[in-house]
Amino acid sequence: MSAPATSPLDHPEVRQASAWRYIAGFITSMVLMQAALMVTLHQHLPYQEYVFTTGGLALVALLCQAALFFGLDISRAQIWKSVSLVLTIPLFILSVGLTVWMFQSLAQRTMIMPVTTVQPTLLE
Amino acid sequence: MSTDAPPTDATKLFHPHFAGHDQISARTLGFWLYMLSDALIFTALFAAYAVLNNPMSAAGGPIAPQVVNPVEGLWQTYAVLGSVATYSLGTVALKSGNKAGVMLGIILSIVLALVFLGFETHDLLGLLAKGDGPARSGYLSAFFILIATHGLHMVFGIIWMLVMLVQIPTMGFTANVVARLINLRMFWQFQATIWVLVYIYVYMIGAY
Repeated sequence: MSAPATSPLDHPEVRQASAWRYIAGFITSMVLMQAALMVTLHQHLPYQEYVFTTGGLALVALLCQAALFFGLDISRAQIWKSVSLVLTIPLFILSVGLTVWMFQSLAQRTMIMPVTTVQPTLLE
Repeated sequence: MSTDAPPTDATKLFHPHFAGHDQISARTLGFWLYMLSDALIFTALFAAYAVLNNPMSAAGGPIAPQVVNPVEGLWQTYAVLGSVATYSLGTVALKSGNKAGVMLGIILSIVLALVFLGFETHDLLGLLAKGDGPARSGYLSAFFILIATHGLHMVFGIIWMLVMLVQIPTMGFTANVVARLINLRMFWQFQATIWVLVYIYVYMIGAY
């Protein structure tokens, strides 16, 4: 947490606002989403590779937003936000990953799908 | 704890009205922690969506490829990212105490957020008109709840912005108003982050 400022407008949370960072964050996010859309529309990749490609583009977009929009770094003003985010990310991964894994196991043992309804999903 | 003793560095947090206490930092960190817990709600919804985006959970109804259109979703992505960018740029004007600049950023942000919500409402109402509402199947329940939860966050953000449009001219840039503007910036940027995940996972991977 940072030292107290005399005027609210001198506070580090206010001073960290940056036009170039916000514009760069907007442009980077848009370019990455358009790239993901191009990959989706052309559909040249097998399902697993497609998921990794678009997921990778999303991950880069999220990292760009963390740095350029939120301004997260290890400075005195931002360090505790960065630390709390890093400590929470494993909870996100465990929540989604374990849920999908459990239901994938369940689906393999109990859900006999007709061939006509089979479609690639994360459960496969 | 005794309140007679003057606060030290270790006990300042227990004296919220102490003049040396950094209220803006305390409030922004507290709000950040709230947002992380809010993100866990979305995590649960994404987990439910991952499980239910399956023909066996469709009850004969549509699943993602028949429900979402990634090209239309890109326009929503433009709108929400543009809204976040304009609000964030408004807070650049806050550095110089420029009330008109901050309020212009908020107004542009509200307009783009309404465009986003217009697309979203159109999509959901279209599904309802075809009889594919949230009660139709497990998949549609997960889809509606995920999309609507994000949409409700956007609505709440718009209400918060309208409140700030009143408080900025009447109260000025006091410590309370500045803390609210900074927290609202984080909240609004958080909506763009969630939307990127929704767009990639629901509109793209779901449409494969």
